[in-house]
Amino acid sequence: MATSRRMRVLVAMSGGVDSSLAAALLKEQGHDVIGVTLHLWDAEGGDKVGRCCAPEDRDDARRTCEHLGVPHYVIDEREAFRKHVVDPFVSLNLSGRTPIPCVACNQQVKLSRLWQLAESFGADRLATGHYARIVDDGVGGVHLLRGHDADKDQSYFLFGVPQDVLRNLILPLGELKKPDARLAAQRLGLSNWNKPDSQELCFVPDGDVRGFVARHADAAPAERAGRSGNVIDESGQVLGTHAGIEGFTVGQRRGLGIPGAEPRYVLRVIADSREVVVGPAERRAQRDLHAEGVMWTSQPPEAPFEGHVRIRSRHSAAAAEVTPSASGFRARFAEPQLAIAPGQAAVIYVRDRVVGGGFIV
Amino acid sequence: MAAMDAVRARAWANSASVHAAGRASRSVLESAREQVAAALGARNPDLVFTSGGTEACNLAIHGRLALASTGEHVITTAVEHPAVFASLAAVCAARDLELTTLAVPGGAPPDPEVLRAQLRPNTRLVAIQWINHETGTVFPVAEYARVCRGAGVPLFVDAVQGLGKLPLSVEELGADLVACAAHKTGGPAGSGALWVRHGVDLDPVLHGGSQERGRRGGTPDVVAHAGFGAACQLLGERLAAQPRIATLRDRMEHALLVLGAVRNASSGPRVSTVSNTSVRGWRGEALIAALDVEGLAASSGAACSSGLQEPSPVLRAMHPDQPWRAGAALRLSFGVETTEIEQESALTLIAKVLARPPA
Repeated sequence: MATSRRMRVLVAMSGGVDSSLAAALLKEQGHDVIGVTLHLWDAEGGDKVGRCCAPEDRDDARRTCEHLGVPHYVIDEREAFRKHVVDPFVSLNLSGRTPIPCVACNQQVKLSRLWQLAESFGADRLATGHYARIVDDGVGGVHLLRGHDADKDQSYFLFGVPQDVLRNLILPLGELKKPDARLAAQRLGLSNWNKPDSQELCFVPDGDVRGFVARHADAAPAERAGRSGNVIDESGQVLGTHAGIEGFTVGQRRGLGIPGAEPRYVLRVIADSREVVVGPAERRAQRDLHAEGVMWTSQPPEAPFEGHVRIRSRHSAAAAEVTPSASGFRARFAEPQLAIAPGQAAVIYVRDRVVGGGFIV
Repeated sequence: MAAMDAVRARAWANSASVHAAGRASRSVLESAREQVAAALGARNPDLVFTSGGTEACNLAIHGRLALASTGEHVITTAVEHPAVFASLAAVCAARDLELTTLAVPGGAPPDPEVLRAQLRPNTRLVAIQWINHETGTVFPVAEYARVCRGAGVPLFVDAVQGLGKLPLSVEELGADLVACAAHKTGGPAGSGALWVRHGVDLDPVLHGGSQERGRRGGTPDVVAHAGFGAACQLLGERLAAQPRIATLRDRMEHALLVLGAVRNASSGPRVSTVSNTSVRGWRGEALIAALDVEGLAASSGAACSSGLQEPSPVLRAMHPDQPWRAGAALRLSFGVETTEIEQESALTLIAKVLARPPA
């Protein structure tokens, strides 16, 4: 991407080191940087560490911008975040799935809104601190590629970002590895250079999905949290009970509350009967997945093709044959994969390139 | 500024001290009191210096209602400054008082007869602003004062936005308590005053020494109050500049309306220093940021909220049937310093930004 021309760039700033560094690098390259922090959610509880959209994070973003001598604005997007991210997250959990809210957030709240703001600010480009790369295909399109840091690569979360946004997106950290990013942040005098990475879901900082869903289940009036059900094995035998299917994830081992010497894992969650099906380790692996709600990065493919499919963020993509369908795709893995969890994103790569993705059903 | 620098050298001592330096400070403080009282058109310099408008409003409300009994009644409007409505909310909750909030539909001030109809035998206080802090709308506070006086109910007028924009005489106004602030008149932030009609009782909010005749403990900021006094001596110039400011404002506002904005103030009287419009399709905070990027400082709501801006509660109350207005507001301020060239270049910037896709 040609970034030699001096451009006005809107940088999405969370207050973390990555987005701060993105802003600092662009400023160093001579661009006119505008920092914007989207306020997405009011943190709950008194725990100040790693809270989502905490005032401390806004302050960090503001401090970075002051340090860089660039303007910083906070834009309130709580309504959109609740509608497009939190409410579906609660509903999907109540229907026994394992949602991936970061994808919906990037697709429908963050990047789309930020690009809209960028245009209204007269900005030429939008930048974020994601670890992924964007390359021009030379014929009018752009490709989304994995970041160079295999551990931090965030291309998985960006698969659904539309072409018109991708085309205007700059990812200054795509070529960096995280430790180098911290060093660069330190070199550039960013006070948050050693701030810990955010973990878990930003709006469930304590990781207690079950508790979160219980508190927010009123957003989905047809469903209710905390409805008990049975834990069964594959033959249908009842092994125990649970206090609600929300929060159970395919592949999960802990917290099943059933006695027995042999470790057992969640194989399926059946929402209608509120049953959690468990089985031994060897039953976890599956070779097929079906995804819906698919977004292709460029032209939708028609014929089956060989690629690599990533089924969760901490999964190194596995070889599979991908067969596109009208609204989705099927993937048949060369080797059986553990924990193919409905609700998670399945993202298809051809070498380093994201060609599309969808949600596992 | 010059007045404050001069005073800083002279009035550094505690104005309550008996020694010569203390007496010098005291003399500066009392001159300032007379200057401010004169600007308010008060016969007696019966005013309490405070740290600003917010404290003056708090003192009026808490000072009058500290001894109110459960179930007693207070009246205000739906568009007050937070210094007033948050104070009222706090004291009404703490003392279990009943609060009547008069509606301001379309941004038009309540009719005095509406106020009269709401007065009760146990109404302890009426608190209403003179000038709205977001739209500049002028409220007929003298008429409210007549209504209150007739019923024997004390009236507190928040005049913070009005001093220096419209001529003020608290004697003619007829209110019992009037709050004002230095920084709205060209004076320093950090000084304000509450004028108290002779004979009106007031409990202190800041308990301490017997400064300000026992109504406000604490060593006063003599330098800041001297700055307020000096600014008050120049109020005549500010008042004389108002018609010119109104011309600039009206020209700007007309251009904004042509660009598709709608005016948020009612058609009644308003001060000349503010234009408040809403631009459909834009979110106020995004529009303000886009203008700021181009170098134009504007505002969406009251400036007193930090960082995150909620849609303006004032505009929500004024236009309940058009909630989008509160989230899409553009508030531009004009002052004695504003020039025609600045107004023209601001308009050019606004037109440039409004031509972009709204956000």
